[in-house]
Amino acid sequence: MERILKKTILGVGIIIFYSTIVNATPWSDLSSEHLESKLNKKFSEGSYSKKGADSCLMCHRKNETVMAIFDGIHGTMNNELSPMAGLQCEACHGPQGKHNKGGKEPMIAFGKDSKLSASAQNSICQGCHNDPKQMAWHSSTHNLEEVACADCHTLHSAKDPALDKLSVNDTCSSCHTKEKAYMNKRSSHPLKWDQMTCIDCHSPHGSMSESALNKPTINDTCYSCHSEKRGPMLWEHAPVAESCITCHNPHGSVNEGMLKNRAPQLCQQCHAPDGHASRVVQEPGMDAFGGGKSCLNCHSQIHGSNHPSGSMLQR
Amino acid sequence: MKSFKRNKISLSLSLLAMSGHCLAANFDINQANLNNVDVNKYECKRCEKPDDYKGFVNVSSGYTDSDDIHAGNALGTSDKGAFGAVSSEFNYQGSTGYQASLTAHQLGMDNGFSRLSVGKSGLYTLDIDYSELKTNQAGDINIESYPSAINDQFDLALMRKKVGLSFDYGHDFYKVFTGYNIENKTGRQSSSLLAPTAINVGLPVDMVTQQWNAGMSLNGDNWLSEISYLGNSFHNNTDDLLEPNVGGVYAASPDSIAHHLSLSGQYNLGSTVVNGRFMTGRMIQDESLIEGFPLQNWEGEVNTLDGHLAVTSMVNNRLRVGGSAEYSKRNNESDIAAFNQYNLSTVTGKLRQNIPQDIERNTYKLNAAYRFANGYRLQAGYDLKEVERSSGDREQTNDDNMWVKLKLNVLDNLNIKLKAEHATRDGSKYEASELTSSEDNGLMRKYYLADRTRNGGEIQINHNPFEWLGIGLTTRYAKDEYDETLIGLTESEDYGYDLNMSVNFNSHVNGYGSVSQQWITSAQAGSESFSSPDWVDDIEDEFINIATGMSIGGLMQDKLTLGLDYQFSNSVSDTYVTTDALLKSQYGDYFSYNHSAKIYADYALSNQIALKMSYRYERYYDTDGAVIGVNEIPGLVTLGDINHNYNAHQVMLSFTYQLR
Repeated sequence: MERILKKTILGVGIIIFYSTIVNATPWSDLSSEHLESKLNKKFSEGSYSKKGADSCLMCHRKNETVMAIFDGIHGTMNNELSPMAGLQCEACHGPQGKHNKGGKEPMIAFGKDSKLSASAQNSICQGCHNDPKQMAWHSSTHNLEEVACADCHTLHSAKDPALDKLSVNDTCSSCHTKEKAYMNKRSSHPLKWDQMTCIDCHSPHGSMSESALNKPTINDTCYSCHSEKRGPMLWEHAPVAESCITCHNPHGSVNEGMLKNRAPQLCQQCHAPDGHASRVVQEPGMDAFGGGKSCLNCHSQIHGSNHPSGSMLQR
Repeated sequence: MKSFKRNKISLSLSLLAMSGHCLAANFDINQANLNNVDVNKYECKRCEKPDDYKGFVNVSSGYTDSDDIHAGNALGTSDKGAFGAVSSEFNYQGSTGYQASLTAHQLGMDNGFSRLSVGKSGLYTLDIDYSELKTNQAGDINIESYPSAINDQFDLALMRKKVGLSFDYGHDFYKVFTGYNIENKTGRQSSSLLAPTAINVGLPVDMVTQQWNAGMSLNGDNWLSEISYLGNSFHNNTDDLLEPNVGGVYAASPDSIAHHLSLSGQYNLGSTVVNGRFMTGRMIQDESLIEGFPLQNWEGEVNTLDGHLAVTSMVNNRLRVGGSAEYSKRNNESDIAAFNQYNLSTVTGKLRQNIPQDIERNTYKLNAAYRFANGYRLQAGYDLKEVERSSGDREQTNDDNMWVKLKLNVLDNLNIKLKAEHATRDGSKYEASELTSSEDNGLMRKYYLADRTRNGGEIQINHNPFEWLGIGLTTRYAKDEYDETLIGLTESEDYGYDLNMSVNFNSHVNGYGSVSQQWITSAQAGSESFSSPDWVDDIEDEFINIATGMSIGGLMQDKLTLGLDYQFSNSVSDTYVTTDALLKSQYGDYFSYNHSAKIYADYALSNQIALKMSYRYERYYDTDGAVIGVNEIPGLVTLGDINHNYNAHQVMLSFTYQLR
């Protein structure tokens, strides 16, 4: 029994040991600042390889992930804008220097395992990708939170999941776990089944609108699909004109219609006249104030009415 | 994209890069030292030349067993019975840079889409899109107490069909773009009419929304600019509802059109970047008013003006500071007129007039981030939002928000993020004048205008104890207190957590698991005596979501992959009513839960042909205490029982042929 226990502990220890080192780079023990300093020096010295990708692939061609670059747009050779048309691998990973002598000298690496700062990694992408889509990037929340381009985008593959309608939600929700859970609430936009995507409303590269929305304001974003609520209406409902999220939570709610609260409670948080709206509703299914659509049984034009006699939003 | 340029690097820039102390590392290809390289000698013999075309075609057929169209939201088809669908992907890459792609996903089911894209990389792209989106609320509703023109047997469901076209052309320093899409939304939507008593109906929906945009961008070495126009028009194909005895029962959503013109730009000064936008817009609605009223036409017009300026600067490689200012003005210039109402205003005693609302917002933000040690970063910020309303219960509100974040990379594979915020809202006097007064209890404070104090915090922990295991835990808490409110929302508390785990045993076996919970409790007070509070509602919302799944590949000589996904969620909302200290009642059940499960087997018959079998199960149950019988309450006609309680099954067989 003791021998079995010792062997089990040894086996588990070996698994842990190898699993922690199997993908570690030879320069993993360098600090971020030391690594950046070394790579800066390499970059300025400009000791590029003699044969470009052929030099790199002498060692790296057996790696499926490395070779997958040729399945995507960054690996095409017949496009003058592609890295492969110029410095090839070193366009992004920096000059080879002495890396080919044993593989110990650091190269620029990307992704969550890279010790390079996000701004250093992003400087490479932005050398080519600096267009109006990224105009608001520098002051965007993603940049201020030091999210690197490679944290969302995958270049060494045939398809970038961040650019595919069927996988972009998974990309966003790998960090935005709260919103991922909210997709499963009683009512939410159909993100759960990829029928809508996060980027239908938001710009992950940042925008000059609130919450990095695609359109100028919150309401304009909602009106792009729910334009019947835009108006302007003859009789406006003030909180609607001010912001749709006064009453709704677009990421999902335990209530129908993505409402933060249901009628009559939601309505009674703002309305308390000397009349029926101030009456407490003891139970939901006993009368027209609690049953059916509650307040909306009569006040159905809750987003505003275009009826001359619709000041009470009834018509 | 900028074209790849060969730049000679200047000595001063190389010295600056080597010093590395003042600025963050910059590996921009345009700053590269190319003195010692000749890319013409690069032959790329070991590079893989991809095929000029590749793709696949997938044909699926299956059977759905479900008695409730609501299952269609999850299963992709709301009809019981057999179904078929086609998916495909086709990519062509020419030797001179021309490319084309065709993507189709589940065409034939309720939510299919397709895109055709052609162009020359770096020069132009033309995209043509088609998509369908169906949302199902309830099926087989049959109301007979209203003219059958409106209420016959129907499903509460909405189908959107959208076609779009976009084109962009540009090279190097300029680009022009344009796009157009049109969407038709049809179906039936739950609504209610007063004719003359309240009748819940399935209102017919037939709407068309069109969007179009056009613009041009120019860019230089360190600047970007864009001018663009965005338009959106709405057309309603359904008419107003008139009844002979009660006049205009229902005014349909009016046709409207909106325009936005914007000019935006960015200037990059190296370590400091400035971006800004100026935008003007107009929303117009001049639909004829419902028949039978003296005023036939009413012109609705809202003009908007928006400005945004943001600056962010890396003072050194440890400190970043930034700020932004935003201005937004909504000017409602619609006609004002007096209309006969069914009752008069109790405040003014006069015929009611419509009140066009103007809103002006100013938002200012400051933020700073300091890296005080390797892997340790402190951020702090202050946001101020000032809103002014021309006519509202409160003319001016100011929201202050102070926040601080701390990121700690405790170990290489363990990082912790902490966030705390404190926000307050105050503003001008509530109901300061007759124009801004309402007929509400003088103690009422609308929650989106009321004085409020918010305190919140969040802790996030991410840990990779092993290369193959990732664990993330986030927990958050926020409390809103409306201390000046006696009638209305008085308090709201929101807390919860998410726990996520991903496991990648090897390239063939991976799995995931997650648990999320959230609790929201709110309290509000009211008064039946039009004076001090005499009743309180406590609302307790609870939500749980559990998801897990696994896929095992590489079986049967790397031909077979098996997978399983399971998800469970439960949304609950309980309302407790207290009318005095002794009397407390609870609303009936309001909750919904679902179990979703999927198992699949993907088998490669050959290098080109694959077969996939999948089975999906959906169990859904919801209840709502407000859902009652059609004529259960005198004076109210409802749609009847539209709750759901079903088990739905779907089997699908897919055949995929790989073209290359």
